[in-house]
Amino acid sequence: MNALLVAIYAVFGIAALLTLYRIVKGPSILDRAVASDVLLTEVLCVLGAEMAINQHTRTLPVLLVIAGVGVFGSISIARFVARRDGDRR
Amino acid sequence: MTRLLEVSETAAPASEPWIDVVVLVLILLGAALCLTAAIGLLRFRDVPTRLHAATKPQVLGLILISLAIALSLRSWPVVAFLVPVVLIQLATAPLSAHMVGRQAYRNGTIDRSTLYADELDDSRSTPPAAGG
Repeated sequence: MNALLVAIYAVFGIAALLTLYRIVKGPSILDRAVASDVLLTEVLCVLGAEMAINQHTRTLPVLLVIAGVGVFGSISIARFVARRDGDRR
Repeated sequence: MTRLLEVSETAAPASEPWIDVVVLVLILLGAALCLTAAIGLLRFRDVPTRLHAATKPQVLGLILISLAIALSLRSWPVVAFLVPVVLIQLATAPLSAHMVGRQAYRNGTIDRSTLYADELDDSRSTPPAAGG
């Protein structure tokens, strides 16, 4: 039981670190938008996992709000990014 | 909201140990899918291939974790909260992926040498209202 908990924490942490690396490193702004979307969904997963492990329901509205609002970030970035920010077309 | 808390926390106990193990295994699978998405973001080459890694495993991981929450708390109001979360995620993940992919095609952050077929190439080379 305890080993499973440690494995869950380690896997979530490694996934967040890899996504953060892509946000920092990403060559174009669209890569960063995709990676931040992934990071937001991972925050959603971490909140849900913590709620299931500790058996409380306090973060359920946060889950709903993040799921509803999180899409606007990458859509607005994709909408208003410059038409060409690379050097080739 | 307080009523939701009361209902769920009175319905939560009387837990058998094997259900807790199932919950933890489901959470571990969801976390592994998050890790898969992160590895795909790290290893893939350009924006459309990274969109593959970004959208699909994330939604499946969220569904698994929602199943884990429902199994852990075992009350219908919690399920009534989780179903819209999953449905919203299923509806908005293709939406944002479509917008980002279209913009990636337009501003050239796509690796054209790796495309087998480019169905938008005709409409890009002929100007609109050119008769073809």
